[in-house]
Amino acid sequence: MRLTHFSAAALAAIACTSMVMFATPKPPAGGGTVTGKVTYTGTPAKMKPIDMSKEPTCAKQHATPVMTQNVTTGPGNTLQWVVVYISAGDQGSTAPSQAVKYEQKGCEYLPHVLPLQVSQQLQIFNDDQTSHNIHPLAKVNPEWNKSQPAGSPPIDTKYEKAEFIPVKCNIHPWMHGYFVVLNTSHYSVTGEDGSFSLTGLPPGKYTLTAWQEQYGTQTQEVTIAGNESKSVNFSFKALPY
Amino acid sequence: MPSLRPETSRLLNRSRLTGLAIFTLVVLAMLFADAKPAQALPTGKAFAIPAFARKYGLPCSACHTAWPELNNFGQVFRDNGYQLMNDRDSPIWQNPSYFPISFRITPSWHREAADHQVIDAPDGCFGTSLANPCLSVAGKVTQSGFDLSGMDLWSAGTLYKNISFVLLPSSDPTAVWHFESAFIRFDNLKNSPWFNVKFGRFELDNLISEKRFLFLSNNGGIYQIYHFNTPGSSNNFGYGDNQIGVELAGHNANSYTRYSVAVVSSNEGGVNFTTDVVPGAPPANRSYDVNLAFSQAFDAKSLGFERIGAFAYIGQRPTYFETTDGGTVPLVGLGNKSFYRVGFAGDLYIHNLELLPLFMYGHDNAYLGTATSSQGALPSGAQAPTFYGGFIESHYYLNPQNVILGRFEKINVGQQALSGNPGNFGNVTAYSVGYRWYPIMFSRAGVALDGEYSRVKSIGIVPESGDGTGNIPLFPTDGVWSSSIYFGIDFDF
Amino acid sequence: MISSKFVATFALGSIALLTFGAAPATAQSHVNSPDPLLGAPSVNTEESHIGTLTGHAEEGKHLYRRYCIGCHGPDGDGNGMNAQWIDPKPRDFTEATFKCRSTPTGTLPTDQDLYNAITRGFINTNMPSWKPLTEQQRADLVAFIKTWSPRWAKEKPGDVLVIPAEPPVTIESILHGRELFQKLECWKCHGPAGHGDGPSAATLTDSKDNPIRPYNFSTGTRFKCGATNQDIYRIFMTGVDGTPMPSFHDTLTGNDPWDLVHFLRTLQISYPSKELDLWQGYVASHGKDIKPIGPDSAAGAQ
Repeated sequence: MRLTHFSAAALAAIACTSMVMFATPKPPAGGGTVTGKVTYTGTPAKMKPIDMSKEPTCAKQHATPVMTQNVTTGPGNTLQWVVVYISAGDQGSTAPSQAVKYEQKGCEYLPHVLPLQVSQQLQIFNDDQTSHNIHPLAKVNPEWNKSQPAGSPPIDTKYEKAEFIPVKCNIHPWMHGYFVVLNTSHYSVTGEDGSFSLTGLPPGKYTLTAWQEQYGTQTQEVTIAGNESKSVNFSFKALPY
Repeated sequence: MPSLRPETSRLLNRSRLTGLAIFTLVVLAMLFADAKPAQALPTGKAFAIPAFARKYGLPCSACHTAWPELNNFGQVFRDNGYQLMNDRDSPIWQNPSYFPISFRITPSWHREAADHQVIDAPDGCFGTSLANPCLSVAGKVTQSGFDLSGMDLWSAGTLYKNISFVLLPSSDPTAVWHFESAFIRFDNLKNSPWFNVKFGRFELDNLISEKRFLFLSNNGGIYQIYHFNTPGSSNNFGYGDNQIGVELAGHNANSYTRYSVAVVSSNEGGVNFTTDVVPGAPPANRSYDVNLAFSQAFDAKSLGFERIGAFAYIGQRPTYFETTDGGTVPLVGLGNKSFYRVGFAGDLYIHNLELLPLFMYGHDNAYLGTATSSQGALPSGAQAPTFYGGFIESHYYLNPQNVILGRFEKINVGQQALSGNPGNFGNVTAYSVGYRWYPIMFSRAGVALDGEYSRVKSIGIVPESGDGTGNIPLFPTDGVWSSSIYFGIDFDF
Repeated sequence: MISSKFVATFALGSIALLTFGAAPATAQSHVNSPDPLLGAPSVNTEESHIGTLTGHAEEGKHLYRRYCIGCHGPDGDGNGMNAQWIDPKPRDFTEATFKCRSTPTGTLPTDQDLYNAITRGFINTNMPSWKPLTEQQRADLVAFIKTWSPRWAKEKPGDVLVIPAEPPVTIESILHGRELFQKLECWKCHGPAGHGDGPSAATLTDSKDNPIRPYNFSTGTRFKCGATNQDIYRIFMTGVDGTPMPSFHDTLTGNDPWDLVHFLRTLQISYPSKELDLWQGYVASHGKDIKPIGPDSAAGAQ
């Protein structure tokens, strides 16, 4: 079972034309599992179509306008792009050797939210026929800003401290994404159906945190004994703005 | 008044306590000190322009060691024509609500005393009344009370890149106004900092400015030598007085090297072709004076910043007037005779201790020195009077908000205007100590509490202090001690 | 002529005065009391090294309070009492993100970089040149500024950018620089003619979400981080951290950066340079061959 979960529907929804292989931390054999759904109550703000006409090479890659993604909802009031992770109770783990990949394609960030571990290699690609500048607005980690013209090799980097880092391209102001740098290897991003799944948890008491870029974080306690599976759901109160 | 951020006000309180403690001590010490003459307050003394602090958001202390005295950063700002030189100086960069005006006034309590004054005795005598005639005796006059300074209404700013102005209407305590300063500057002519022109009424390019200094009391509030003339002289020149004319000045990029050449009317800054800025003054002269100043600063590593300089003023004053109506109405000065003042000065730092030494030598023509018309004959024994002397002033900066002041001044008459005068006739000795505490020193307003004690001794003449309304002592050999105790709240907003 | 009595009196008076001044000087010469206006730690051992000078944070603290606090604030976070009226905003030292560096984007600048910034000031901002301060004072300020962020204790400044010798200014170099300007999409922000009016210009914000304008080459003579060709080279190679201006270090190789420098000079139409002369001569003779910079341009297609 994959820890980072991307449903085909989610990929379709973001109009991705090429599959991206995301690095997946290897689950330890056995252990408990926490699954659940993230939903909202109330009325969230409507996402708006993005006007990419100032960048024709990107605009023509999208048959229908791309929507903003800061509150991405699915049927049944589910919330996509929520990162659910163990914020306390994890015994700690070293970063996997595989790099996580982050793509700029069609003037979008793929994926919109990228979780990764502290010290894990991060590769940033530009698949577009235009220059991007990749500008992660880190506060805890050093803030850098690099140009990546069309055809450039990937930028290799990593972060040494846990942080939610907004990523933007100043040239294309509609491009927004997040690096979610975590101290744990137990994390999952909700798909379009709002579901997440954390596996391979050793027995113990954990604090589970769900983070949504606009609505912030929520936490719940969960205790795992043996190989049991537990269900934990999160519900965010949506704000109409 | 901007609201204080919590940490600022919290932190300010500590400074406030320290400041208040030291200030109280100084004031108490002065109240118990021996004290002695009585004059009104000087006006238009100081240049501190929160209008500029407001414009640029800098704290007072960025430009002033302790306002109104300038530090080198403030000096460079001024030398650049009131510009930071970031292409943000022109009015178009300013918030439209920004208005380049600031006010300064100083309410105070002070005590003035002078001994060896000519007073009538006994008290309550009535002229030449046989029953109760008046006799002139030497006595001590002491006055004290609450008082008010004049007010400065400052406006200064940049009209356009490299064009700036200063306009300083100043009132005396009774709200009689004059233009203390009013000039326009054109800077960086030929794109060079070496060529800047100032036109109007301004202070001479003194390395040690009397308009920007930290003393406010009657006796301590002037540099004696900036206003000294030998006894009996008709010369009205004061090196510290604002003059009216044009000045060419220049400096290198960081103002370490500075020069200026000023050509001013020989009328002591007077307007309307008179010798003063208020109506009723004698008519002016038709000649011109020249002031030259040069200074060089050095970066003395950890000691700080050191500047030394030299100056020379060459001028003329009339000895009689063209008249009308049977010699009763003077029209214009004639019979010019010359005088000069030369000297050197320094602004030296030893960490937080600043020393301001100045030496000056003055020479007047014998006609001026004896107030004789050049058409007439000099009195017997007349000779060209000279004097020399100076001061050394010290400022110790506990921090930018607390400064301890001290000054010692000495002037000797080298050659008396009349050979028969006692050798020390006119000599002056002065001591001043003070403490200034700046509890409020933001970009939008400044408040300083000022406590001073000053004591001036002059032989045979009234000290050049305050407004000069004291009396001449009975005998030219008498030393007149004049002293001030002063406590004022100097505010600037 | 000057009497010896006068000299003696003057000397005595001066000595009295010096003693008066020196007494507190001795007692207080190493004022270590917590500075009332500053929220910084009370003892700072941070140092800076500028050439042969060593700056000391403890000294810099007093200077900071005197000169800097109005804008950069008592906590070094750029929230001084005047910050609200200032645009661009004062630097927040607690983030240790600096615009003008000789080191790679995201790394700490060198002491010399900070010293140069203080000395030079920032054109088109409220930050003046602090050259009127002594060299020691500026070095002390650098040391103090480094106390505001823990990064200085944990990290070393990045490797200083090595700038190779400048090749001769030729029309080929300028033309290649022009292709780079098109290809790297500098014009998206700086505008096709360098007027700072590219299609993305109006949307730009700095890392604190304050609006920011791209540099307008046509009216500018100096840059925020200097005025020489070497300075221009350094600016785009290391990026202007905290702003939308990225680093092109991973993108430009060989003489590319110098070619770009030479082209950028031709955009500074109010600043005479040999690059501008050469370019204007070329435009006069080959004007019709020059493709405009901008979307769908072939200028970068060679």
